Amino acid sequence: MAGKKMHSAKRKRFINNTIVHVILAILAVIWVFPIVWVVLTSFRAEKGSYVSTFLPQSFTIDNYVKLFTDTTILNFPQMFMNTLFIAVCSCILSTFYVLAVSYCLSRLRFKMRKPYMNMAMILGLFPGFMSMIAVYFILKALGMTEGNLIKLALILVYSGGAALSFQIAKGFFDTIPIAVDEAALLDGCTRWQIFTRITLPLSKPIVIYTTLTSFMSPWLDFIFAKVICRANSDQYTIAIGLWKMLEKEYIDSWYTSFAAGAVLISIPIAALFLYMQRYYVDGLSGAVKG
Amino acid sequence: MRKRAVVVLLAGVMTFGLAATSLTGCGSDSSEGGTENVRLMVWSPQNDQSKDSGEWLQTMCNNFAEDHPEWDITFVYGVADEASAAGQVSQDPEASADVFMYANDTLTTMTDANALAKFGGKYREEIKSTNSQEVLDSLIMDGDLYGVPFTTNTWFMYYDKSVFSEEDVKNLDTMLEKGVVSFPFVNSWYLPAFYIGNGCTLFGDGTDESAGVDFGGEKAVEVTDYLIDLESNPNFRIDDLGSGIAGLRDGSINAMFTGSWDANAIEEILGDNMGVAALPTFTLNGEEKQMMAYAGSKAIGVNPNSKNMVAAIELAVYLGSAEAQRAHYELCGTIPCNTELLSDESISSDAVVSAQNDTFNRTSILQPFVSKMSNCWTPVENMGKGIRNGSITHDNAEEQTENMNDAMNSDGI
Repeated sequence: MAGKKMHSAKRKRFINNTIVHVILAILAVIWVFPIVWVVLTSFRAEKGSYVSTFLPQSFTIDNYVKLFTDTTILNFPQMFMNTLFIAVCSCILSTFYVLAVSYCLSRLRFKMRKPYMNMAMILGLFPGFMSMIAVYFILKALGMTEGNLIKLALILVYSGGAALSFQIAKGFFDTIPIAVDEAALLDGCTRWQIFTRITLPLSKPIVIYTTLTSFMSPWLDFIFAKVICRANSDQYTIAIGLWKMLEKEYIDSWYTSFAAGAVLISIPIAALFLYMQRYYVDGLSGAVKG
Repeated sequence: MRKRAVVVLLAGVMTFGLAATSLTGCGSDSSEGGTENVRLMVWSPQNDQSKDSGEWLQTMCNNFAEDHPEWDITFVYGVADEASAAGQVSQDPEASADVFMYANDTLTTMTDANALAKFGGKYREEIKSTNSQEVLDSLIMDGDLYGVPFTTNTWFMYYDKSVFSEEDVKNLDTMLEKGVVSFPFVNSWYLPAFYIGNGCTLFGDGTDESAGVDFGGEKAVEVTDYLIDLESNPNFRIDDLGSGIAGLRDGSINAMFTGSWDANAIEEILGDNMGVAALPTFTLNGEEKQMMAYAGSKAIGVNPNSKNMVAAIELAVYLGSAEAQRAHYELCGTIPCNTELLSDESISSDAVVSAQNDTFNRTSILQPFVSKMSNCWTPVENMGKGIRNGSITHDNAEEQTENMNDAMNSDGI
């Protein structure tokens, strides 16, 4: 009797698991489908934007080679380096801003603290590109919309507003017991030392999270880059370049290279994530004991 | 220590920014020894500046500088294709190119932003003497000429000569009996060709905004009915998202409609079998009707905010001259519109050139550029899409056609 019951419970679990796994498999296929398609397209040997078969008929790496060798019309390597430079600089700046502001709002008490947080909340409700044209004219007045200064302009644009998105990091800092700070103060630490020696090492996951998000937004941004770069093709970022490849004059010969470019831009993000993900585990395992 | 390092770094970044900005403010316009220092910013599509196409723009600008020793010209090149130049220039005319290229359907965008200079006097005479009236009309608004035309802009038909004879390509319905034809049915730059062919009009002769759009009544319903039948014809394919050229490539399609920008790709596919022709007629209730494309021109415009107006206008006229157009054709394949060049044997024998000009002169209307034209795109596109997905049928064709006409005549979304 008991054995039979066990048997049926086991069977039931097996059936349940099977159903769950089938559903998960279907969902996984749906989710991965567009990515697989882009990767396949980037290796497709047939030209053109439209194909009647899902799987390419023949494969080639020419699309990647073309991105890096055919630079007279669309200079992909230059765009890649422009974007990388801008993204790395604004990543460093905005990570610093976000963490510093979050630390201040979490640990220090000052008169503007509440009003600042409310203001940031309200400003954060508006989409950033609302101020786009105003930002453009301010940068123009400063003479930063021509030549290499465009890079600096973009770095400022991407990192300037970073201090408004402190909420997540501040929430994390709030969970670190204030007693740790007090102990450090008693031992003679300055605020800066507490921030760099104690709070940051205890908050690795949020540091990683902040770094990743502040790298990705300039890396993927299109709209600000488009407005600020205008006709300066030597300053174009990847997003503008990829968009150009889809214009009616270029789409037929550049479409597969466009897919190759889309694959390539995911590499720095993936590399950054892989490098940093071990700290996720370190951080989450918890350093604050007892 | 670390604290100080960060402070120094931040201070460094800020001073660098300030120093750099203050330096750029000191550009000088001094003149010496009789020659005047002139800085001209020129925007063109990337293709015109690339090494692959012989750096047409740079070559022409250098020739221009040699012709004008009285100016010591520094050229600054930027990239803006004809379609998007209007947006770029009107965003901030003062910081835009002195000379740029634009498509004539964006004319009002720029005149509204006060970003387009008028050509008058001897320049206008010169432009007038080398271009056909139709081309000039595409750049004239309220009697003023706003650019130097350098090419026409329209679409026509490419076909496979091994499938269709020259006689076949005169009528769309004859073609459909012999081979597979693809048409950008859901693109409102192409679809109105059928309506205009049956007497529908846009803004009177195209310039009278108050006249409105006439895409209604019996003549339009007939066309809608024709289009419903066309869409269900087994030899007809809708060309959407590049499916036309892909079909041509794998042989499943024998004729398609597009412009000169696809000429190289199609020549590569069809080789000697590539045929190019102006638009065919279509048979509507037993009568032959001529399809009519939208046509426009691309022109070189001058920014009225330019600091060197004379040099900018002279350069624009030069870039649109016969000499520059010939080089443009030879290097980049841009089809000339200069009347002198069009009668030149070496150019007029090019099939694509003659098809485009035949279309421009015979089977097209000037695409209206009055600002209400912007209401006319979506309703027509929706008509094509409605027919494609089967929601517009013979039963409701009349009602749906009236809806399209109403939408084209209203400012609402």
